[in-house]
Amino acid sequence: MSESYTSILWSKQKRKYDMVLWAGILLLIISFVAFQMLLHPDITPQTLLIRATALTAIVLLHVVLVIGPLCRIDKRFLPLLYNRRHLGVSMFLIALIHSGLCIMMFHVMGDTNPIVSIFTSNEHYNSISKFPFQILGFFSIIILFLMAATSHDFWLKNLGPRVWKGLHMSVYLAYAMIILHIALGTLQYESHPIYWTFLVLGFVLVAGLHIYAGIKETKKLKGDRNRLQENGFFEAGSIHDIDEKCATTVNFKGENIAIFKYDGKVSAVHNVCKHQMGPLGEGMIIDGCITCPWHGYQYYPENGQSPPPFTEKVKTYEVKVVKDIIWVNPNPNDEGTFVEPAKSK
Amino acid sequence: MRVPLLNLQNRSKLKEEKDFYVGWQKGMSKSNSSFLKKFLIPFFICIPLVVFAFVYFQKPFNNFKFDFGNITTITGTYYDSPTPMIIADKGSLADSLSHDIVLVGYGKFGARGIINTIEKTNGTLNGKRVELAGTLIYGDGKTCMELTEKEASLKKVLASPSSNPPVNLAKKDISLSGEILDPKCYFGAMKPAEGKIHKSCAIRCISGGIPPIFRTKSNNSNQYYILLGKAGQAINKEVLPYVAEHISITGKTNKFSNWDVLYVNVDDIKIK
Repeated sequence: MSESYTSILWSKQKRKYDMVLWAGILLLIISFVAFQMLLHPDITPQTLLIRATALTAIVLLHVVLVIGPLCRIDKRFLPLLYNRRHLGVSMFLIALIHSGLCIMMFHVMGDTNPIVSIFTSNEHYNSISKFPFQILGFFSIIILFLMAATSHDFWLKNLGPRVWKGLHMSVYLAYAMIILHIALGTLQYESHPIYWTFLVLGFVLVAGLHIYAGIKETKKLKGDRNRLQENGFFEAGSIHDIDEKCATTVNFKGENIAIFKYDGKVSAVHNVCKHQMGPLGEGMIIDGCITCPWHGYQYYPENGQSPPPFTEKVKTYEVKVVKDIIWVNPNPNDEGTFVEPAKSK
Repeated sequence: MRVPLLNLQNRSKLKEEKDFYVGWQKGMSKSNSSFLKKFLIPFFICIPLVVFAFVYFQKPFNNFKFDFGNITTITGTYYDSPTPMIIADKGSLADSLSHDIVLVGYGKFGARGIINTIEKTNGTLNGKRVELAGTLIYGDGKTCMELTEKEASLKKVLASPSSNPPVNLAKKDISLSGEILDPKCYFGAMKPAEGKIHKSCAIRCISGGIPPIFRTKSNNSNQYYILLGKAGQAINKEVLPYVAEHISITGKTNKFSNWDVLYVNVDDIKIK
C-alpha cells in the first residue's frame, strides 16, 4: 500500500515470491530442454524454444487462474495472491517470446506482411478442425498484453476499479482462446492422448475450483434472503458466530456488507475494497483497521476511511446488537461516514 | 496439530491475527508457511515429471538437416526446369548426399527471382556449368540449397559446353494420395514441417516461389514429386488451398535426373 506511484514497491515478501516463481519457471524450462536434448536430439533450437515457452506459459496461466478460487476456499493460500501480478506479467513475457518466435518462424521473410499472413495464410474459417488456430493465439496475446501493461496501480487508479477489473476479467476469454489454440493447433499434430488428458485436466481444475468457490458464495446469498427484518434492519446472525477481529458477510437489498467484531464493538462497512474490489469481509482488523486480505489496504471500521495519508473510503451501515443478535440496516451511508459502533458485550 | 492440505469441507478460521497474511508485513506465520510448503514442494516435484511425460510422448523428429551458418560451394550443371536446380559434379558434394539439388531463395522465397537477376548480367544459365554457393538442406535422400548470398551466390560460370537436361520424356499416368509440402522447411529448416501445425509457413514458402513438393507415404518410406502444371508450368499460387491437407492427385509423372516430377491439372486435386 503506497500513497504515491513507484514502479515496484519491493518488499521482502515480494522478493521471496518472485524467487520462488522464477525458480519454478527455470526448473520447468531447464528440465524441458534437458529432456528434449536427451530424448529428441534432432529437435531444432527454434522448435525447442517455441515448445518450452508454450508449456511454461500455459502452466503459469493455470496457476494464475486457480489462485483466486483457492484463496476463497482457504485463506491460507492468500500469500499466493498478494503478488499475483508478477506471476501474470512473467507469464505474459514468456507467452510473448512464444508468439514472437512463432511469427518469426512461420510468417516473417515471406511475400506478405507477417501480421496479415497470420489471418490469410490459412483461411478455413468455416471449419472447426482446420480453423486457423494461430489467430486465437494472436488475440490472446493482445489481451494478455493489455493486462500486463495495466497491471500497475497507476492504471488501476486512472481506469477505476470497475473498468480495470473488467479488463482483467478478460483473462478468462484469453484462457478459452488459448485452450482452443492448443486443441486446434498442436494437438492436431501431437495426437497422443496424454496431451488431451493434460489439457482437459487443466481445464477441469480451473473450472472446478471456480464452480466450487461460486457455489459456496451462492449458498450464502440464498441464506441471506430468508433473514428476518424489522424497522429497516435485517438479522445478520449471532454475535458469537464471528471471531474476534474478523467479520461475517451478508447481502441485503443488493448491498454486500461486511460486519466486523472487535474490542467489544461491532461495525459494518461495504464488503468491497477500493483497490481491486477484494472481499474486505475475509480480512481482519489489524492495528485497529480493517485490512483487505488481497493486498492489505486498510480502513477504519467506524467510518470506512483509510488511515491518513491514504484517501480511500468505503460505505458504512447502521448496526445494532439485540440479545446477542446483530441487526444491520442495508441503506448505506455515504463513503467515509462515521457510524457509532454497536456494543457487542 | 497437522494442517490438512486442502480441507474443502471445513474452511479454516484464522483466529489469530498472526495467522492473517498481509503482504506488506515482514513475513507470514509459521503455520501459513508450513501449509504452503505442503502444496508447493509436491508441485515443484511434479514439474519435471510432467515435463518428462510431455517430452516422452512427442512425435520423434527426423534427422534432416539445415546446414545453418555453413556456406558450401558446388560445381555442377544448372537447369531452369522443372524448377531451378543444380546437378552437382561428382566429388563436388559428399557422396552420401543426393547430387540433384533443388535451389531455393533466402527466407520464404524461391530461387527464380535470384536466378533472373543473375541472368540479366551473366546471360542464360540453363544447361551451363556453374559454381554456386549456398546453405545445404538435406534429408531422406533429397538435397536442396538455399542461395543465402542471393545474387552473390553465383561464383563462376564455367566455360564448358552446355549439356542436355537429364529428363525422361515418357510420362506415365498416376493417381496418388499425400500432402503438399515446401521442401526448404521439410528437408531440414523446420521440424516438424508438415500438417496443420506448419501449414501457414508452407503456404508462405510456396506462395513465395519455393517449388511445391508432393509427398506420398507407403510403409516406412516416402516418395517425393516436384509438382507442376499439366504443361510444366509452376502452379505455386494454384495449389495454396491444398497445402498441408491430405489430398488425392491424378496426373502424369516422369523423371528429371533422380527427381520424380508430377504434372497435374489443379482441378484434379481433391481434399480427402
